[in-house]
Amino acid sequence: MNQIAKDEAAVVIIGSGAGGGTLAYELTAAGIPCVLLEAGAFIKNEDYHNNEWEAFRQMAWLDARTTSGSWRVAKDFPGLPAWIVKAVGGSTTHWSGATPRFKDYEFKAKSTYGDVAGATLLDWPITLDDLAPYYDRAEIAMGSTHRHGRPALPANNNYKVFANGAERVGYKQYATGPYATNAEPYDGRPASIQDGFNFQGDKNKSKWSTLVREIPRALETGLLDLRPDSHVVRITHGADGKADAVLYVDKDGNLHRQAAKVVCVAGNSIETPRLLLLSESNRFPTGLANGADHVGRHYMRHMTGSVYAQFDKPVHMFRGETMAGIIADEAANNPERGFVGGYYMETLSLGPSFLAAFIEPGAWGPEFAAMMDAYANTAGMWIVGEDMPQATNRVTLSDSVKDQWGLAAPNVHFDDHANDVAMRNYAYEKAQKLYEAVGAVSSHRTPPYPSTHNLGTCRMSEKPEDGVVDKWGRAHEVSNLFVSDGSVMTTGAAANPTLTIVALAIRQAEYLAGELKAGNL
Amino acid sequence: MKTTRRHVLLGSASALLAASSLGGAALGFTLDPAKDEASKALLARVVRVAFPHKNFPDAAYLRTAGVILTAAEGTPGQKLAFAATLHDLDQAGFADMDEAAALDHLKSIEDTPFFVLTRSTTVVTLYDDPEVWAVLGYEGPSFDKGGYINRGFNDLDWLPEPRIEEYEAAQ
Ligand SMILES: Cc1cc2nc3c(=O)[nH]c(=O)nc-3n(C[C@H](O)[C@H](O)[C@H](O)COP(=O)(O)OP(=O)(O)OC[C@H]3O[C@@H](n4cnc5c(N)ncnc54)[C@H](O)[C@@H]3O)c2cc1C
Repeated sequence: MNQIAKDEAAVVIIGSGAGGGTLAYELTAAGIPCVLLEAGAFIKNEDYHNNEWEAFRQMAWLDARTTSGSWRVAKDFPGLPAWIVKAVGGSTTHWSGATPRFKDYEFKAKSTYGDVAGATLLDWPITLDDLAPYYDRAEIAMGSTHRHGRPALPANNNYKVFANGAERVGYKQYATGPYATNAEPYDGRPASIQDGFNFQGDKNKSKWSTLVREIPRALETGLLDLRPDSHVVRITHGADGKADAVLYVDKDGNLHRQAAKVVCVAGNSIETPRLLLLSESNRFPTGLANGADHVGRHYMRHMTGSVYAQFDKPVHMFRGETMAGIIADEAANNPERGFVGGYYMETLSLGPSFLAAFIEPGAWGPEFAAMMDAYANTAGMWIVGEDMPQATNRVTLSDSVKDQWGLAAPNVHFDDHANDVAMRNYAYEKAQKLYEAVGAVSSHRTPPYPSTHNLGTCRMSEKPEDGVVDKWGRAHEVSNLFVSDGSVMTTGAAANPTLTIVALAIRQAEYLAGELKAGNL
Repeated sequence: MKTTRRHVLLGSASALLAASSLGGAALGFTLDPAKDEASKALLARVVRVAFPHKNFPDAAYLRTAGVILTAAEGTPGQKLAFAATLHDLDQAGFADMDEAAALDHLKSIEDTPFFVLTRSTTVVTLYDDPEVWAVLGYEGPSFDKGGYINRGFNDLDWLPEPRIEEYEAAQ
């Protein structure tokens, strides 16, 4: 592995997930050496556990966090606002792999939806056309099924219920993907063996993650200096206001300094704004790149919910891919439904230990037990749609709780917008109807889980006063500081975000490589 | 609701009356319930009443009770509060109550730290027990068995085979 001296002003990337891992690969492949700092450990596929709680405890980000606001997660899981992975590969190790693209109108949310009371909608400074070529590259890199010649995943049991229900209620746009999991061998990795453990990390390496693709390839270039167990706690700047180094803590609590000529932050949408807020200084008293007061604001998590339906015949939803079914009929903007924006329905399976914790948090007693008794006859889906950005939904620094390093923990404040609530109720209804159409004897509306999609806290904007970064992800205020993860999303769209995060990172890498080679950075 | 020790006592008062007629308490005040089989059995009954599954074996409930008792060993104060509630339950004759009375009794202490710990530990323990999985029809770790690709990932046969391609592509 390449070793870059700590006093050499390097290209420094923070976080090795979808955004940071992709950026590290694309830059090193373009001949640019990088330091990649990752707070978590280097855990390999063979180390993963086929057990829900063991896997969660092994890899989830469990550093202190707090919550506030009226969202249900704050009540059910007050210390766990989000499910994010802390390990090399980031949350792409636990993700399930759905890769729909954002739609044209979703890049123009403000123009399309108009003024929505309480929402801080804004159009993106880029369009679908700008991103389309990078979507192609991302889909090819990730091996999305149904795209670029990649075959569809086969129908598993959960999908059979889902798709038949879809057909019977009149939906047309259902399929087993696109999902970034190999249905046949591809890109040096094997086909899925349908082991049912996607959220736990795929031991078989059939599911794309930066751990199985971008990071090993970046290491092969000989240009990557990957440092696991390296938690960045501050970005410093020189008299010129440009970032000049990052400070990080190793696993024993020792502080290190890495000099930097460019800093790219990809810690996911809670840690990224937290790091910028922690990096306050005389020059940036409210946090780095936060002169316009948008860092940490407009936090989005998608409108989510789940429906689990019980049948009088076996389903065995846990056999096979955790998610491998998607319905896109509701992913459109039809305000006559009572809300703006759209949503997807996606198959989802949990094992008994997760289902018990999440199906109705806090519940107990005979009714709860009956839902669990029906486990083998249960089918499940997740609903995921666009939520409204709100200035008051935000990540701030806690004034009382500290993490293990003594640094202010992030607080995640969230209130559902009326549009989110209307969409969720509508989607629950549709999901229950779908299952009734194939004979469900009962079904349950499960509230949102801790956020797996975290977006918007350093949003892209045309004008510096409207956001944190420009159309390349470059901070409006600090010319050599970039944000390279889902924090940059101006609005959230309905689709799962990772394909877009990867496409944006590929695009940003191309831009960065050009600027570096031209000597502009 | 704010839970106080007083509330716990009040909550179990009516049951206490009922219990005395059944002969009442079997346990003394156990300082170390984690090491005490009778406490574990009493707690296992609490778990079974709160999460009633006819087909789950007693052994699974006892294992969960053991995990809860370990989880209850925080500060001396926490340990004491937990032991005191167990003692109250015992005094109330919880072990001998019928299902309905036992369920009502638990509802009356639902917001106590004792019950919250019991409930929250149970959901992540009882349903993570391989013997329980077998009863529920869940097959557990599968990678070492080659996944489900040849073991029924698509064996549902009571619905037609659905299309897997996207609508446009299938046209
Ligand atoms: C269970 C689950 C299922 C999901 N399913 C899907 C899906 O089907 N489709 C989809 O599109 N998305 C899905 N997601 C979301 C997806 O995982 C994320 O959108 C994506 O990984 C985010 O990329 P990122 O680069 O922003 O952050 P991450 O991938 O989370 O990576 C961030 C990394 O930065 C590290 N880090 C953070 N702070 C610091 C610091 N200060 N110093 C050093 N390192 C730091 C973290 O440890 C982490 O490794 C799922 C997520 C989960 C948890």
